Amino acid sequence: MDQMVDSLQGMDSAFVGVFLAVMRFVAPVLVLMILWRCCKPLLTFRPEPEIWAWLVMKDGKKIPVLHWENVIGQHKRSDILIDFPTVSRNHAVLTRYDDGSWTITDTDSKNGVFVNGKRIRIHALEEEDEISIGGVEMTLQPISKQQVERLGQLRTKASSGMESIANLLVLSIFQALTCIAFLFTSQSVVPILAGFGGIMALQWALLVFYLIIRRPAFEVETVAFLLCTMGMAAICSVKPEESVKQLVALCMGIVVFLLVGWSMRDLERAKKMRYVAAVGGILLLAVTLVFGKEYYGAKNWLVIGPMSIQPSELAKVCFVYVGASAMDRLLDKRNLITFIVYTLVVCGCLALMNDFGTALIFFFAFLMIAYMRSGSIGTIALAVTALGFAGITALNIAPHALKRFSSWRHIWDDPLGAGYQQTRALMCIGSGGIFGLGIGQGWMKNLFAADSDMVFATLSEEWGLIVPVLLVLAIMALALFTVRSSAVSRSSFYTIGACTAATILVVQTMFNVLGTLDVLPLTGVTFPFVSNGGSSMICAWGLLAFVKAADTRQNASFAVRSGKWRRQDG
Amino acid sequence: MDRIARRSAAIILLVVLLLGGLGFFVVEYFMDAHQWVMTEGSPHVYNGTNIGCGVVTDRDGAVLLDMDGERTYASDPGLRASTLHWLGDRYGYISAPAVSTYAQQMAGFDPVSGLYSYSGSGTTTLTLSAQVQMAALEAMGDNKGTVAVYNYKTGEIICAVSTPTYDPDDPPQITQENEAEFEGVYVNRFTRSAYVPGSIFKIVTMAAALEEIPDIREQTFVCTGSYAYPTDPVTCEYAHGTLDLDSALAQSCNCAFASIVDQLGPETLERYVRKYGVTAPVSFDGITTVAGNFDVTDAGVDQIAWSGIGQHKDQINPCAYLTFLGAIANGGAPVQPYVVSQVTCGPKVTYEASATVGEHIMDPQIAQELQKMMENNVAEKYGVENFPDMTVCAKSGTAQSDNKGSNALFAGFVADEELPLAFIVVVEEGGYGRLACVPIISKVLAVCKDVMGS
Repeated sequence: MDQMVDSLQGMDSAFVGVFLAVMRFVAPVLVLMILWRCCKPLLTFRPEPEIWAWLVMKDGKKIPVLHWENVIGQHKRSDILIDFPTVSRNHAVLTRYDDGSWTITDTDSKNGVFVNGKRIRIHALEEEDEISIGGVEMTLQPISKQQVERLGQLRTKASSGMESIANLLVLSIFQALTCIAFLFTSQSVVPILAGFGGIMALQWALLVFYLIIRRPAFEVETVAFLLCTMGMAAICSVKPEESVKQLVALCMGIVVFLLVGWSMRDLERAKKMRYVAAVGGILLLAVTLVFGKEYYGAKNWLVIGPMSIQPSELAKVCFVYVGASAMDRLLDKRNLITFIVYTLVVCGCLALMNDFGTALIFFFAFLMIAYMRSGSIGTIALAVTALGFAGITALNIAPHALKRFSSWRHIWDDPLGAGYQQTRALMCIGSGGIFGLGIGQGWMKNLFAADSDMVFATLSEEWGLIVPVLLVLAIMALALFTVRSSAVSRSSFYTIGACTAATILVVQTMFNVLGTLDVLPLTGVTFPFVSNGGSSMICAWGLLAFVKAADTRQNASFAVRSGKWRRQDG
Repeated sequence: MDRIARRSAAIILLVVLLLGGLGFFVVEYFMDAHQWVMTEGSPHVYNGTNIGCGVVTDRDGAVLLDMDGERTYASDPGLRASTLHWLGDRYGYISAPAVSTYAQQMAGFDPVSGLYSYSGSGTTTLTLSAQVQMAALEAMGDNKGTVAVYNYKTGEIICAVSTPTYDPDDPPQITQENEAEFEGVYVNRFTRSAYVPGSIFKIVTMAAALEEIPDIREQTFVCTGSYAYPTDPVTCEYAHGTLDLDSALAQSCNCAFASIVDQLGPETLERYVRKYGVTAPVSFDGITTVAGNFDVTDAGVDQIAWSGIGQHKDQINPCAYLTFLGAIANGGAPVQPYVVSQVTCGPKVTYEASATVGEHIMDPQIAQELQKMMENNVAEKYGVENFPDMTVCAKSGTAQSDNKGSNALFAGFVADEELPLAFIVVVEEGGYGRLACVPIISKVLAVCKDVMGS
């Protein structure tokens, strides 16, 4: 290995020049190729509904039951539409549990729900139970184990193991070339080898694990690893000594990803976990408030020995978890109020920490959860909470964030003062052009936060504008994939979780990138997966687990149970 | 469930916002990136306030400055000091606008490649000659002032030295004790100073007289050493006696010129000063010289006379006056001076200077007559032997300023087809123009002749 590195660094400078020059064009092509191969199946798969049961009407008509929570009613957007005058708009909810059992719940209907002639509020359904909804009679016929398996086989397949291996091979080639380019231009041999080698080892280990558990779809993960690779490239250019630290964070991120994903395989488990998440989230923030250190105006760092972490990043994952499951599964008002109170406590903590950037992200996450939750109930309460949140945020802005707003779109008025960071960023982006100045040839490393807040400019300078723009498009692709998979999601928990996670990923990317480019004010939030920062990396992978849990393609996701049929009675 | 799933479309709104913001930036990039990159302080182009990439050479390709990284100047200390005011220093005390102006052409920016260069960095070729610059600095000695030579046919500035100067590789510690020695050291006196012209201004008055007073050529002037006005008289150092027009200029007789100014009147004189562009700023290569001054409002008759003699409130900028002299030499058409002849980026020539000839400011015949008179000055007063093998036409000046010694000035041109050079010398507190300046310009022109191969 040493010999190889020596021979690389001893290379003829003309050869190095040619290599770097060729890389300027090879890099965007490879990045585009990886994203194309990964994102195409994510964005073009046919969202097929899964059928979990049939409602058999008196006349023999069978209505498919497509989700784990189904609103029955006369409303035209009901999951099961029964257009009959005595049926209320939202009459009842039919709910499936992990063990395959079903319950029916009356949602304050006018004419009530009857099972075997008895008016009920909530009832665990047995086979052959006669259900009457506003006088319309039907029976529930869950699908059999064989039917489940048959349906599973007919579903759109996610990428096969071979495709996943091929995608990862392309990524590995890209990583190897990047690593070589850095070895040519930098003296920090060990951090560079460790950084890129570590990512490669991790990604292959994860894929092998997926192949063993027969969940070979790896598109989402490949995209995430590509983003991490580019983050590592920024670190190797700016602070190579931090590459190992970031690699450790990536490891921890993947562990969190697997744990969060695993906890969501089972809705009952997820329901229990949400209490852990709720308490955990508050604890993280409370501990920061008490023991936290203040850097750059926000008291959001916790220093433990050699480690410094930003607990508010980790709290985001908890918040999504709580937000997605807060409503129980039955659109219940009480749970919503609990969540609003929870949100207020969280935002109160952030206000005390003076952590404006994170508060903003939480605000968007809250808005998304609120929007997805508020159909017919609680809209007003939500709006009031949102207003309160915004108010506290605004108060929070005043001292140290207001300055950033005043220079927004005026950075060239004060290029050596308030606009220094962004004017340098734009100068360097311009200097890099579309194809970059070459790996390791940038100036951005001299700028504060070049590998975190300003990472878009750092990459753009060395790699050219195309590569970081593709990275932003990759985040967008993940978000659009979430929208597509929502349509066939099993439970609102997965839909809301995935959508909120995607919202956070998109909003962070938006504030990070557009802040650097002076399209939006600079808020100092991180670019998910790319920015240097351990807590942010762990958070990004934690959020990715929610996206993964909503992927119901055949054998696509370790976080989705399939082909396995468990009933209490056998 | 269906309703909740549909609300996931809200994410599309966020994605569209992000895409819109990114698209907005991409448009900005293609419209404005060249400005971002070329703004002062841009890391790959500038080094502080001075351009920080590429190489600057003299007219013959001798490297004056390699601007990459730490800025490497020429190896000769004299060359470093003599070109300092064109190249700028390392610390931004002296800026080099002419070189910085072509940053974009030199850096070779385009929105696709950015500043990535496929074939090495850029080169700026100046019109200056390293040899002449060094000779001029040596000739100036410890004097403060400026000496400049330019080609009045093409506009190329062959030499422009501003003193005091220093070696950028060995910058001086300026303290209270040596403050006076380095007074105005950061200023390029050629472009950024305005001097009282003294008698070199008589060329302007003479030109106006030749155009305006029909019988001026037949007039004779009797100088008693004093020309009386109701207020104060205009005086000469001694009585010149009876003079014809040529001798009046050659002897630089104040009394004769007071008579001429009387005949012209202040409005006419002012009109010609404006017409000849003597006090107007000259712009080239991103440089605009300071404006001169000619102001006879509320002036008494004697003050108006002094204005025509280059005293009173008169001020000229050396570069602008050089351009005026060039116009006389060039038959009345001024040629704009310039200092950057070519900029290349790799093998590509990205900027090429060419002569900018202005409208005639005076009739070719008048210009011809002035040439003859100024040639006569050299024959009568300055000594043709000081300018071997060239036809020099010139006028000296000694400008009194209020509390310091007189500034010595000398301006003119070589009236040879093969050596079309106009020149100006200013030696601050140099005393008599002829004595202080002629030896300097004599040496400089000799080196010019060598360099230009004629």
